[in-house]
Amino acid sequence: MDINFAFGGLVAARLLLSFVPLPDQLKYDHLLSSPLTSNLRLHEGIYLFKNGVDPYSGGVFYQSPLYLSIFSTLLPLNRVSSPIIWTLIDAVSAYALVQTWRARSGVGKSNRDALLAAVYLFNPYLFLPSLAFSTSSISNMLHLLSIMFAARRKTSPALFCLAALVHVSLSSTLLVLPVIILLLGQPKSSLANPKPISIDFEKGRMIGLEFLAHFAVLTLTSTFISGGFQWLWQTWFVELSLPDLTPNPGLWWYFFTEMFDHFRPFFLVAFSVHLLIYIAPVCIKFQYDPLYAAFILTGVLGTVKAYPTLSDPGLFFTMISLFPEILPYLRYPIVTSLIHLHASLLLPLFNHLWLSQGTGNANFFYASTLVFGVANGAALMDCVWAGLRIALGETKEGYEVVQQ
Amino acid sequence: MALNIRGILGRLRSRGAGPKLKRRKALDNMAWTYFPRLKILLLVVGYAWMLCLPLKELSRGIYIDENALQPGGVNTNWNWGDVHRADSYLSELERLRDSNATSIERTDYISLQFQKLRIPTSIQNYTFYTRSGPIYGSNAYAILSSPRYSGAEATLISASWLSRMGDGDGTLNLRGVATVLSLAAFLNQYSLWSKDLIFVISDGYMEGMQAWASAYHGRTQSNMHAEPLQLTSGMIWTALDIDYPGHSFSHLGIFWEGLNGRLPNQDILNSFHVISRNTGGVPVLLHDNHDPNDDNWRDPLPVSWLPSTLGNNGRVKDYAYRARNLLRHVTYQARGHPSGIHGLLHQFHIDAFTIFAVPATGPHGFHTLGRIVESTLRTCNNLLERLHASFFFYLLPEPGTFTKIGNYLPSAVVISTAILFSGLRSWVQAGWVEVPVPASKEGRAKGSQVVKWERRSRPSLQAVLIILATHAWGVPLYFISTWPTPPRLLALACLCSSMLLASRFIDKIDSDTRKIAPIWMLLRSFNLCFASTVISATSVLNFSLAAVLAVLLGVPLSFSGPTDDVLTSVTLRFAYVLLAIFWFTPAWNVMDQAVWDWEFLGGYFSPFICMIYVPIIWQAVIVASLTNRS
Repeated sequence: MDINFAFGGLVAARLLLSFVPLPDQLKYDHLLSSPLTSNLRLHEGIYLFKNGVDPYSGGVFYQSPLYLSIFSTLLPLNRVSSPIIWTLIDAVSAYALVQTWRARSGVGKSNRDALLAAVYLFNPYLFLPSLAFSTSSISNMLHLLSIMFAARRKTSPALFCLAALVHVSLSSTLLVLPVIILLLGQPKSSLANPKPISIDFEKGRMIGLEFLAHFAVLTLTSTFISGGFQWLWQTWFVELSLPDLTPNPGLWWYFFTEMFDHFRPFFLVAFSVHLLIYIAPVCIKFQYDPLYAAFILTGVLGTVKAYPTLSDPGLFFTMISLFPEILPYLRYPIVTSLIHLHASLLLPLFNHLWLSQGTGNANFFYASTLVFGVANGAALMDCVWAGLRIALGETKEGYEVVQQ
Repeated sequence: MALNIRGILGRLRSRGAGPKLKRRKALDNMAWTYFPRLKILLLVVGYAWMLCLPLKELSRGIYIDENALQPGGVNTNWNWGDVHRADSYLSELERLRDSNATSIERTDYISLQFQKLRIPTSIQNYTFYTRSGPIYGSNAYAILSSPRYSGAEATLISASWLSRMGDGDGTLNLRGVATVLSLAAFLNQYSLWSKDLIFVISDGYMEGMQAWASAYHGRTQSNMHAEPLQLTSGMIWTALDIDYPGHSFSHLGIFWEGLNGRLPNQDILNSFHVISRNTGGVPVLLHDNHDPNDDNWRDPLPVSWLPSTLGNNGRVKDYAYRARNLLRHVTYQARGHPSGIHGLLHQFHIDAFTIFAVPATGPHGFHTLGRIVESTLRTCNNLLERLHASFFFYLLPEPGTFTKIGNYLPSAVVISTAILFSGLRSWVQAGWVEVPVPASKEGRAKGSQVVKWERRSRPSLQAVLIILATHAWGVPLYFISTWPTPPRLLALACLCSSMLLASRFIDKIDSDTRKIAPIWMLLRSFNLCFASTVISATSVLNFSLAAVLAVLLGVPLSFSGPTDDVLTSVTLRFAYVLLAIFWFTPAWNVMDQAVWDWEFLGGYFSPFICMIYVPIIWQAVIVASLTNRS
């Protein structure tokens, strides 16, 4: 089937789906949008902004000033425009995924393209947040775009998207290093034949500086838009200081609801630094395949970042389809899928038991987020294993592979 | 930078990895060899646990968790004057009954009585549009504002016109209605209420309360027209439904199962138990099951089959009694069918139950019932915060005792684990194929067959699509279940045979099983894993349903698979089909009620059976009909 036709069909199906009159309840769902990505809070922020009240003076709005300016002028949000905008965002993301695949596989159009697009557009972890108009769809788009541009060696667009991504979601800083290495290296799969790479540090430094320049421009623009530096504390710092403990499917919120206040700063630092320690080992290990390093770090983000929604692990699972070569080397895919199946049933169930039916409490939902965490962790570990294992090739008769 | 991969490729006997590798191999072998025994062990433990649930050892005595409740800690003021008032209401109600009064006339009368008591009152008319024509009715209700607080919270006291006897078979609840009216007059005299008191006399059986509670909480449904309520109050915390169909009673029964298997907080039931025993001196029953020491004790079926020495044994009698209580509970909870009109309120976060005055020739009447309800309302009135979340998970095997979640939940989960393990084994089995190797000289001399295991690919997509298709096939099944019996059975037969036909086509998918796993293994693996997940997820929502699923699916699924013998295969398939559709046969008159519950009350049992339960067994039927390739 022609890919353009198939892609158009998929996007049209997705658009139809977004116009199905869904209960507004979706927007309130804790699994689909966090305080940092909630559409309701975005509307609140835009309302305050339009009426001359600083949206960052209260504890409601934690999103970038760029969203304020874009959605209050260029793309006003209403019942008709929102489904179209969010479908387009998903379409662009799916397109970026397909283009990344083409750059990686080195082939032009192939039958796999439609499959990849479908895997993005109809992954329930991705389209449900998108139906709730969560801004996590936008950060996913920026995420995939920066990887796509980097894979196609478009330095400036890649760095701009990356800067925008880090700007709207600070924890995505994890991606900066692999994307820069990807710009210096190549996107082709070299998992099966790893070799050390030589890095042109001079060029790397220039790329780093360009990234900082883009980032500085976005920061200044934001300051200009919001008329002060207050937004810094109400967007970036929120991911580090966790002021809003609205439940989400991640691992942070429950700890900090239970924590005594005088331990809070210490554990906040521990949790935040914990995210950063993955960058160096993963980038060193997978230096020969920076795209894979970016993929693994996406998995880290989906598992342990501060305010995750379903769309963060969802992006990781969709990106697996970029690396079909690792699939035979996964050790326990069915176990991971089963834990995910359990988690995806238990998360809404326990959320409902706690908050609607009233016959459970926060511990129930927390237990299900732990199951979800185990599922994400298991998938991540298995992908790291498979990415390394593939270099050893098929086992020969009488030989075994062991990890020492 | 040198690359360092931390896997090493070494001979089995190489020094570094040897012992670890050996251990792993030994573990793998052990898991594979002992697996069938483990599965049987898990199944035996699970089923035995189910049988042990009625045992005394697994339960403990009830206690009150919420200190604020203070059950039975008040002097009651309800006296013979109030009983007399109830009697006069009763004679008026009987007059209305004998003159065949319409429901409008009845509600007018009831509303007038509330007006005479100077309690704000109103009437709500409603219509249900059923297949056999509309059902009209009208509810009367009154709201006594709390003299002490702002009316943000309320307690509900209700009685339905029809008693819950025979699931609303037409027995009138006249004394229940009279009790509520008389209580309204009595409670109005006191200024100690911290919550509004709402009195509802609902028409019909379930319909009236469904219309009233939906309107109160702002819910609408397409097949019901309910007038909006003119009077409202705050959030309802607790609700007592009074059901008094006989002319006097010896025991009070509690009915607590709600729609979709929801239960009220156990503290409320426990408080009522304490109050009924201590304040009223009335023994409490679960449902209306009398205990073995009672004159009304009817020999339950299992015991009468036993030899008399065993049947008269105290422990056996006790076990039978507790088992009967639990089974009664399961028949309500698993079907998600409310055991009284209180069951419609749990979905709105209201702890509600029905006080059922079990008809008898004596000795109790209005006097005892009034005191008990008064004291229970005082206890509800004491509540300052929501009752604790951990008290929503319990089984009640006997009045005064309960089984906590840790003692009953594992029974279903262990069975679901056995199913899960069987599914995982199928998955592993699908990934490997046994290939005979041209034997070496020594091997041939010994006469032993040398085999080796080779990997093969497991294309999952087809199996997943087949599974999705069977679940989609459950949609027509749901529509069929709403039909009358003769065409229903015919259509059921067609649907089931379509599954057998489909397996003919699915069988053609298999090509070279040396390279690609046979489809039945993948199908079986996904079927079992999904079934196990459904059972464990359901177990926290509705334990009875999970237990029924575990018992019905445990053994049949764990041992599913194709067989070479034609006769066995046909028998097996027939048994599976029977297991799938027995709910729909007229002998088990379950589905008609379930469809009604789904259409008018929102009980999800019938769609669950049609779209989850039956498709799971259909998948097993398909697996059993495929050719046995390995």
